[in-house]
Amino acid sequence: MTVKTLLLAGGALLASASAASASGFQVNLGGQKNIGMGGVGVGLSLDQAAMFYNPGALALVRENGVQFGVNAALARISFRSENGGDQRALQNSVVTPFNFYAGFGPKDAKYKFGLAVYTPYGNKVKYADGWEGRYALTEIDLKAVYVQPTFSYAITPQLSVGAGLMILAYGSVNLQKDLPLPTGPGHIELDGKAKTQFGYNAGIFFKPSDKLGVGVSYRSQIDAKVENGSITYTGLPTGASAGIVNPSFTANKFAATLPLPAVASIGIGINPTDKLTLGVDAALTFWSQYRTLDFAFSSDNGGTGVVGGSATSTSKRNYQDALAFRVGGQYMVSDKLAVRAGASYDFSAVRDGFVTPETPDADRAIGTLGLSYQVTEKLGVDASFLFEALVKRTQTQQDLLNLGTTDRVAGTFRTNAYIPGIGLHYKF
Amino acid sequence: MKLFIKRSAPVLGLLGLGLAGCQPDIDAPKVSAGSADFSRYVSVGNSLTGGTADGGQYRESQLNSYPNILASQFALVGGGTFLQALFSETQSNGSGYLRLAGFTPATATSLPAPITASVTTNLAIRGAVPTRTSPLPRPQPLYTKDLSDINNLGIDGIRMSDITTAGFGNSASTGGTFAAPTPVFNAYFERITPDGSNESYLDRVKRTVASIKPTFFTEWLGNNDVLGFATAGAAANSVTPAATFTANTKLVLDALTAGGAKGVVATIPDVTNIPFFTTVGPSFRANLALNNTPVTVAPFIYTTGLLAPGQPNTRVLTAKLSDIGNAPGTAGNLLLTLTASPYLSLYGRATGKYWRDFYQQARPNLPPTYTLAQFLGPAALGGLAIDTTKAFGQDPANPFPSTLVLDPTEQASIVSTTNAFNTTLTTEANARNLAIFDANIFFRSVAASGFATNAVNNTAGYLSGNLFSLDGVHPTPRGYAVIANEMLRVINAKYGSTFQGVNANNYRGVVFP
Repeated sequence: MTVKTLLLAGGALLASASAASASGFQVNLGGQKNIGMGGVGVGLSLDQAAMFYNPGALALVRENGVQFGVNAALARISFRSENGGDQRALQNSVVTPFNFYAGFGPKDAKYKFGLAVYTPYGNKVKYADGWEGRYALTEIDLKAVYVQPTFSYAITPQLSVGAGLMILAYGSVNLQKDLPLPTGPGHIELDGKAKTQFGYNAGIFFKPSDKLGVGVSYRSQIDAKVENGSITYTGLPTGASAGIVNPSFTANKFAATLPLPAVASIGIGINPTDKLTLGVDAALTFWSQYRTLDFAFSSDNGGTGVVGGSATSTSKRNYQDALAFRVGGQYMVSDKLAVRAGASYDFSAVRDGFVTPETPDADRAIGTLGLSYQVTEKLGVDASFLFEALVKRTQTQQDLLNLGTTDRVAGTFRTNAYIPGIGLHYKF
Repeated sequence: MKLFIKRSAPVLGLLGLGLAGCQPDIDAPKVSAGSADFSRYVSVGNSLTGGTADGGQYRESQLNSYPNILASQFALVGGGTFLQALFSETQSNGSGYLRLAGFTPATATSLPAPITASVTTNLAIRGAVPTRTSPLPRPQPLYTKDLSDINNLGIDGIRMSDITTAGFGNSASTGGTFAAPTPVFNAYFERITPDGSNESYLDRVKRTVASIKPTFFTEWLGNNDVLGFATAGAAANSVTPAATFTANTKLVLDALTAGGAKGVVATIPDVTNIPFFTTVGPSFRANLALNNTPVTVAPFIYTTGLLAPGQPNTRVLTAKLSDIGNAPGTAGNLLLTLTASPYLSLYGRATGKYWRDFYQQARPNLPPTYTLAQFLGPAALGGLAIDTTKAFGQDPANPFPSTLVLDPTEQASIVSTTNAFNTTLTTEANARNLAIFDANIFFRSVAASGFATNAVNNTAGYLSGNLFSLDGVHPTPRGYAVIANEMLRVINAKYGSTFQGVNANNYRGVVFP
């Protein structure tokens, strides 16, 4: 399988759910084993997914192998407007983030090569028709696929380092909302592809004894830049008011930049017995880089273009750095069967009064379960299930007025997400 | 591998769907009355309370009156029926109103401008009476009567100073003669007053309090006590004296609280922020810019103060076109009224169009034999001293009329009068421990920075601001919904109730064709 076919598969079926297992629109679904253990992995060398969690640990992963995993993320977002009315729900859809890893190295060598493909950020929500926030957002689909060639080297049997070149190989955004036109509601759709960008993922892994591992890792920020996105309108007036209204909607191109922030993690892995593995991670995502979401509008022929009468738009985000604490364990029931459980708590990246419909973020509690079954000596199946509950979050019209964030909607959001996942691994 | 994705994804999906049928629930917030009782609600006020919009009152505008919206919220905590003098379905266009018919096409030298038209079908007009202020051939229409025991006592055009006027709802009160004027009846009060009755508005309030026994009320009177003065360019219609305003405020609040009712008193917004005054000046300036008119050089000569025969009219000779307000809310600039719109294109031309129109308007207040020549004649003989062969607005002999201009002095006087009235309203409301909706502060902030509702930006702008209707003075349904929500906020704060208000975006602004 080539990277290209993987990306095609990704383009066809990948997206990542809003509320998928980390703050903001971050997705912490790197590998089925890790997911089952509450998302820990920085202080462990479980399998090839170390390339995502801590590239430094890859050199200490015993076997070469290829593994693939896919999740079905089902977010259930409920919303109640500040001004009464029925509870609103999403138009539910399943999105399927996935990951692929291939790690190789000569037997008994101090180093390993690897290739990772994963989806660290993503977001997809589609609200019910006519919901209160329709003029802020009706739907969003944000995708980001990273491809990461990785190299890891064991300096001593206890200490290894690793790094990968992160490539934002595929990124896309589709944003839609209704327009409050004086002739009745219209609709605008912004659609664009991100330019290829580069970053790095580096880690150090220290294993002073068979029973203890300690790791640190850092994934750098990549800015997803859309330079030539397209804008399409529906419902602009065609009659007597066309000459008044339509000059405010002349743009058909847009440019925007969305930061996919850096993540610094530290983790500890403990093996009290041969059968039991425990992990504890703490991660800090540098969301404070996300200050505003800015769009610059233009038109095809290189000329100026406006949306709503303005050539630019700025929306406050003012995200804050977000901490997450994770804990998980794995127990080998037999040579063939492993069971896992874990939990994590992620603090929200979004401050009070800044909650937007595209990322109705809040502090979240996560519980996970997982198991692996070794079908043959080389081939195994991994499965995981993740449940997360976001704390109910309310912002009032007065909050929005006070903060100048009136481009969003006043009310209460509550989200649960259910994310089953399955994967295959092949060792050699 | 692709096969694996294809086969496992639907399985995962099904598994997830089975597990995830459960949508998280957000409990509906409890709406409670707090310490007030909303079971019987009565509203007292003027056209804003009656639900006037687009220069008239019609069934849709009445249904979207802020008292009717409030009543729909009060109904959630046991509020009873709220009756308005609604125009019937078959007479749904009531008094008639303005609609937006289209726009003039943009040209190289002029920006597009709205074209309004009057709705004249399905009216609720039952007859007409010539009065001193509406003589033949345009007599005052009489509207279809509704004598039921209504809760909404909003009367279009009523001033605080009118509430004790006897015969205010009697069509026999035609105003006497020019030489001996008497009060003229109000057609909206007439339609809810029994034929031949001389009941004053205050008496009607007392009668309503006695029969409905309101537990809650809203009171929003006083706008017309400065508005009429302002919309006439501060050139006529004197402002209500402060003593009368205070005395009448006490009378109406005492009547409303006689049975122990709680309520809200609203203050008067500063009218110089409304589109009626902030639209025409900027659009005139934009057209001048399109024509590269040297606005800092070209004179804009106008009269200030009273404009009436026999009165000395003061001409301001030093102003330039650049003194006309270029943007709403710019201090110290000249404001042009919406009614100035048809005359601005005549700037610089030798024309007497405005003065002929003004003569027609003024005739009811003039001696019957007074001619146009006398009207425009020399000041020494009591005329206005206008030479219509001179350039309109450019020559001191043919100035732009005070009736269409609010200059900084007049604006300051309107603001100080408004503030004085508001001090009275606030003092009297506090003396009776009532909630206060400070409409002045609210609309000032709307004028300064707009008021977004669920990601829709509403402003105090004309046509596209969503809040003000085509007359530039009265709100749209969206504007009334926003007012109702703001009132509910002060009610919640005062009485500990938990009303949620309405989604203002479900109420229309100005609809374009």
